[in-house]
Amino acid sequence: MTNQWKLKEIVLMSILGVVFGVIYLAFFLVGEGLRNVLAPFGLAPFGYEVIYGVWFIVSIMAAYILRKPGVAFTAELIAGVVEVLLGSAAGPGLLLSAAIQGAGAELVFALTGWKDYRLRILVLSGMSAAVVSFAWHLYSAGMIALAPWLIVSTLAVRIISAALISGVLGKWLSDQLAKTGVLRGYALGKELQRKRKYETA
Amino acid sequence: MTCMISSINPSIKMVAVLIPGILLGLTYDVFTPLLYLMFILVVTFTMTDIPITRWLKLFSPFLILASGFAWTTMLYANQTFSGGETLFSFWIFEVTAGSVQTGISVGLRSLCFGALSLMFILTTDSTKLMLSFMQQCKLSPKITYGILAGYRFLPIFQHELQIIRQAHRIRGVTREQGIKGRVNQFRRYAIPLLANGIRKAERVAIAMESKGFTGDPDRTHYRKMVARKRDWLFFVLMIGVLMTVFALSYHLGYLKIFGRQF
Amino acid sequence: MKRLNGRQQPVLDVRNFSFSYDEIIEQPLFNRLNFTLNQNEITLLMGASGAGKSSLALCLNGLYPEAVEGTASGDIFFQGKNIQEFERGELTKEIGIVFQDPESQFCMITVEDELAFTLENRKIPASAIRKKIMEMLKAVGMEGFERHKIHELSGGEKQKIALAAVLLLEPKILILDEPTANMDPLSSLEFIRLVEEIQNVPQMSVLIIEHQARDWFEMIDRILLIGRDGHLLADDVPKHLFTKQKRLLKREGVFLPGEFSEVPAFRESRTQTSPSAEYVLSVRGLSFSRRKQEVLKNVNMDVRCGEFVVIAGENGAGKSTLIQVMAGLLSPDAGEVFFSGRLLKKWKENELRKRMGFVFQNPEHQFITDTVYEELTFGMKRNGLSEQEMETAAGELMEQFHLKELASCNPFALSGGQKRRLSVATVLDATPDILLFDEPTFGQDAATTMELMDYIMALQSKRKAIVFVTHDMDIADAADRVVVFKEGEVAFDGIPDSLWQKEELIRRARLRLPTRLRKKEGG
Repeated sequence: MTNQWKLKEIVLMSILGVVFGVIYLAFFLVGEGLRNVLAPFGLAPFGYEVIYGVWFIVSIMAAYILRKPGVAFTAELIAGVVEVLLGSAAGPGLLLSAAIQGAGAELVFALTGWKDYRLRILVLSGMSAAVVSFAWHLYSAGMIALAPWLIVSTLAVRIISAALISGVLGKWLSDQLAKTGVLRGYALGKELQRKRKYETA
Repeated sequence: MTCMISSINPSIKMVAVLIPGILLGLTYDVFTPLLYLMFILVVTFTMTDIPITRWLKLFSPFLILASGFAWTTMLYANQTFSGGETLFSFWIFEVTAGSVQTGISVGLRSLCFGALSLMFILTTDSTKLMLSFMQQCKLSPKITYGILAGYRFLPIFQHELQIIRQAHRIRGVTREQGIKGRVNQFRRYAIPLLANGIRKAERVAIAMESKGFTGDPDRTHYRKMVARKRDWLFFVLMIGVLMTVFALSYHLGYLKIFGRQF
Repeated sequence: MKRLNGRQQPVLDVRNFSFSYDEIIEQPLFNRLNFTLNQNEITLLMGASGAGKSSLALCLNGLYPEAVEGTASGDIFFQGKNIQEFERGELTKEIGIVFQDPESQFCMITVEDELAFTLENRKIPASAIRKKIMEMLKAVGMEGFERHKIHELSGGEKQKIALAAVLLLEPKILILDEPTANMDPLSSLEFIRLVEEIQNVPQMSVLIIEHQARDWFEMIDRILLIGRDGHLLADDVPKHLFTKQKRLLKREGVFLPGEFSEVPAFRESRTQTSPSAEYVLSVRGLSFSRRKQEVLKNVNMDVRCGEFVVIAGENGAGKSTLIQVMAGLLSPDAGEVFFSGRLLKKWKENELRKRMGFVFQNPEHQFITDTVYEELTFGMKRNGLSEQEMETAAGELMEQFHLKELASCNPFALSGGQKRRLSVATVLDATPDILLFDEPTFGQDAATTMELMDYIMALQSKRKAIVFVTHDMDIADAADRVVVFKEGEVAFDGIPDSLWQKEELIRRARLRLPTRLRKKEGG
């Protein structure tokens, strides 16, 4: 699998991991406000769920940009490794969740034979990552002990967050990036160029 | 001796930290995670040279997180986990002995994860970790060096982020409210960072290939990462103590797996 | 200059070679090139930016066209063998390249690991690696740096490590792709001398890719000139080329080495205006520390209305920090900044930004919208201009900065020169009294630098004060006043001509004389 990938594609996945690691730290500390409001009601974890989709964005963007089998899974795993290298306190556990989430995202792309990268597929892929990762957290974070209505609503929030942040925002950001011309050497950039050529022809 | 964990093979160390992390997910009693947490703390403060103040600073977010988890579980535990007499109730909540126990157990468990993570992160060198993945776990050199090449840009991105902030100020970009504003703001940071990052990815890949790198697994290793007896000893220690804790907990009648008492 | 030893087989023989990226169908990047590179010879490859010089280097070592899915025709022979017959990774070990950007040619954290990476690629036994690394570090003058982290080194040091890594390939051909573009003047000179030294030992062929020949001039044996249309325009010995083909060089946007140039740099092209006595910006007793290190120590400095001031000094001397404090982007630990006679912190943010412009080193950091037009009107919109007014004002700016056809283009997709022009145009959307520039010519080619200087001169003649942080001594030479920083302190403040007489100071602050005075430098 990795032999079909170019070195620059692997470095790109790694860089996506680093950039979002940096942005995540800079931005989402702001989201703490929501968490503090919810905390007295024991709903603090809910606050994390709202932005949970950010964890899958690397996976979806990499798959959408590079369009090759295995990219969604590997990109997420690489992002996990990078997070560990950056010294994230969540540490090695992140690697496990990254592998599981990545597999969830990859599943949807695999079902299309890695041929369909329309918005609906990206959104589904994000939702799949959300469901699979949720199953893992039911076990690892002990969420299984919670009341069924809370489990279901947490899952719903995570799925919506994944659909919007990783699916919709991920695609939009990739398209914006393609317009800058830096993706010329990758599948998404090439597609854009073909389209432009077709339009001008 | 004090720094012994730093010299443990990173791949083995990682597995030795991951397995307890996974298995502790089974337990819902207070005794098991508490005992293991104490063991982790002993290991951390006898076999590493992390200053205690630094450790506390890094550990405190886990305390907040863990108490959040514990509180949630106490209030919202389902029937399987919330048996026993009612301890107190307020507003619409009824807190039972069972839910308190489960809540504390879940909290302690996440403290265990946190302590294990910190022990790993604070004693592991990034380059060695990647080289060990390549040499022990047969990760392909292309992925190994590809990841390292990207990771190397971290300080550059942090610096760029700062400059972009300044540039936004100069141009009078104010903090925008609402979802649309937030998304726009997010993009204004992400696009320059990513665009630059992708150009760098391409350049560094070309530079690496220009130095004769092909991704061929057949290469020599200047820094030889090996798995020695003491690495396995550490592994046995971490897993062995976990098993002992499980056994002891079972013996004393505390062990609880998914709400079922053993 | 060395003597070429008789006739021998060239190391590299390029025949009828053309190359184009897929998308650019109309015109190949280079077209039917024919030239050779010989052992023990130093060749300089010149041409304006955009002429594809860097792409050529990667074609020679076999990475292109494959890496970019471009198309190539013609043949390249390395020691008599067609390069297409080489296994992957074989040819890259024979032809080493040092790239322009010191940030993006390493993959490891420490110097030692980076150098080991090259040797591991060559499958050198682990036991022999350390000795080779130590010898190489000594050869490039970086002894004792093996444990240092690469990202903490200066630009000049990074390039020396890049050179060391490439030399460890023991290549037959060494290609240097604008290796000194991002260095301070003295580091640049040191690097060039290092290359000269190293070339004398092994029998390498060296190809230097540059748009200016200045400092390399004394050691080069031959010059290749590639034109804008991708043809090889000249293959000649330097003296001959620079005396006989001046017009050709100028047309192709190539900088002439000082002694052959009739029009010296920016100094003569500017009209001297008498600076007024009125201060637009004053700095008093400024101190600033970062992570317990003093970056600025008790700095006093003034900028008059309509004055062009250059701030110079080595990397880390505190220049960039100073203009960030001047612009109110950083708050000083002690001291005050006055702007138009009022304390800087008393200004309303919005008012201040209208009257003070700041141009960053990398234009992309300033871009916040999707199109050139929106980029120009962003500030105007905030200042409440009407649609009509914005259109007129933006139209004028686009006219002035030659951006008219690009109005609906994405700012990131522009060429380097266009980006630079746009970044300057965006700070002129209001009517600033002072413009601060943080190394605006860093990593830019000659044509872009010239063009930028033309705009600067025009702005200055409109009585706008200009403050420049730069390493370019030819620009400093054209300023009204130069302020030299050394370890966070003002080491000199006066007109350029009196600076050029202080040899000792120039050496200590790691500066150089401007090109027009350099003949006396003896180097």
